[in-house]
Amino acid sequence: MTTPCSSAVAPTTEKTALLVTSGGDIDELLTNVLASEGWSIQRVVDNQQVVALAKAKPFDLIVTGRQTRVAEDVELLRKIRSARPHVRLIILTDKFTPGDVISAMREGAFSYFSAPFEPSELAEMVRAAMAEPCWDDGIEVLSGTPEWVTLTARCDLATADRLVQFLHGVKDPSIPETDKDQVITAFKEILINAMEHGGHFDPSQHVEISFIRARRAIACRVKDPGKGFSLEELRHAVAGNSPEDLFTHAKVRDEQGMRPGGFGILLAKKLVDELIYNETGNEVVLVKYLDPPKLPIT
Amino acid sequence: MGLQISTRESGDVVILDLRGRATIGVDSDLLIDHLNKLIATGVPKLLLNLASVTQLDSSGISAIVGTYVSLRRQAASLKLLCPRGRVQAVLRVVRLPEIIPTFENETEALASFRPRGYSAAP
Repeated sequence: MTTPCSSAVAPTTEKTALLVTSGGDIDELLTNVLASEGWSIQRVVDNQQVVALAKAKPFDLIVTGRQTRVAEDVELLRKIRSARPHVRLIILTDKFTPGDVISAMREGAFSYFSAPFEPSELAEMVRAAMAEPCWDDGIEVLSGTPEWVTLTARCDLATADRLVQFLHGVKDPSIPETDKDQVITAFKEILINAMEHGGHFDPSQHVEISFIRARRAIACRVKDPGKGFSLEELRHAVAGNSPEDLFTHAKVRDEQGMRPGGFGILLAKKLVDELIYNETGNEVVLVKYLDPPKLPIT
Repeated sequence: MGLQISTRESGDVVILDLRGRATIGVDSDLLIDHLNKLIATGVPKLLLNLASVTQLDSSGISAIVGTYVSLRRQAASLKLLCPRGRVQAVLRVVRLPEIIPTFENETEALASFRPRGYSAAP
C-alpha cells in the first residue's frame, strides 16, 4: 500500500523533469513543452542513470527514451516506485510486444506511447502530467493476458484520457487501424457516460472494464457504479429519440440544466457492430467484428 | 494539443479557426463558451474552420449542433469547413454534413453565404 499522495514529494519551488534522450524531434518537442511552463530539465542517456538520480532526489516527471524495451522501462519504474511511489513516468518506446501495455498499466506508468505515435498527443499527455499537482494512479489492472484484460478506472476525465492513450499504445498488426480507432472512440464515449452518469465524476468511484480480443472480434465491457437507466426513457440523448432526430434531446437537456451532449451512445452504436446493455442499464458490452484474415492464394 | 480558437472576419461572415482537440472537458467548455458569446452578439453568419481539429467527440458534436439550433432560431446560419481524418469520420457517422452545410474550400464556403443571384459586378 502506498502512502497518501500529499506526502510523496516535498514541496519545491521549481518543477523538474528527468528525460532519457530519444533523439531528434521528440527531444525537441519535450523540451519545448516543459520549458514553456518554466520547468527545468535534466537529461540522461540511459535507465541506469535515471535510477541513480531518481532515488537521490524527487522528480516531478520522468520520460523514458524510445530506444529501450518496455520490459526495461517497467523494471525501471518498479525500482523508482519503491522509493518514490507517486512518480509520474511516461514510457516512450520503439521496441514493444503486445503484452507490454498491460505491464505498463499494472506497474502504474502515467502513460505509454509505442511507435508510431502522434507527437501532438505526447505533448498533450505531458501537459496533463504537468498539470497534476499530485498524482495517484487511478487505473488498477485486476487481471491481464494479451487476450483478456480486466481493470478498474477512477471516475475522472484525466484517468479516462490516460486509459484511452494506453489503448492507442496497443499495436496489434492483426487489427486494422480503422477498426481499432472506431472501437477506441466508441469505448471512450461509453466510458465517459459511465463515469459521468454512473459515477458522477466522483474520484472515489470506479468503473470496471474488460477488454477481450477474440480471433474475429474485439469486445469491451464497461460496468458503472450507478443505478442504471433505460434507453427508452433516455430523452436527453439522441439514442432515446428517433435516430433521424438530432435536435429534440438538446431541448430536453437545456430544460434539465444539463451540459450540451447526448451524442455518445449514438456515436458508439454506429462505430461498433453491437452495443448491448444489461437489464438495469449499468453495464454495457461493445463488440466489433473483424474480417477474417486473408489467406494467401495458392 | 488543447483547443485553440482564433477569430477573423470576411465581410459579414465570422470565421472561427479551431486548432487541437474539441473533446469533453476544458476544451469543449471553451468551445461552448466561445460559441455562446458569439450567438449572444447576434452573429448572422458563422463558419467553423475544422481543418486543424485533431479530435472531435460527442461533446464537440453537441457544441456544434447546439450552435446550429441557436443560430437557426435567430435566422442566422452556421457552416462547417474542412473536417479532416478522424474528425470527418465522426461527423459522417452522425450524418451531420447532411444537415449542416460542409465545405472543403473556404472560398466556396464564403460564397455560399451570399444570396443566390447576387453579383458584385456592376
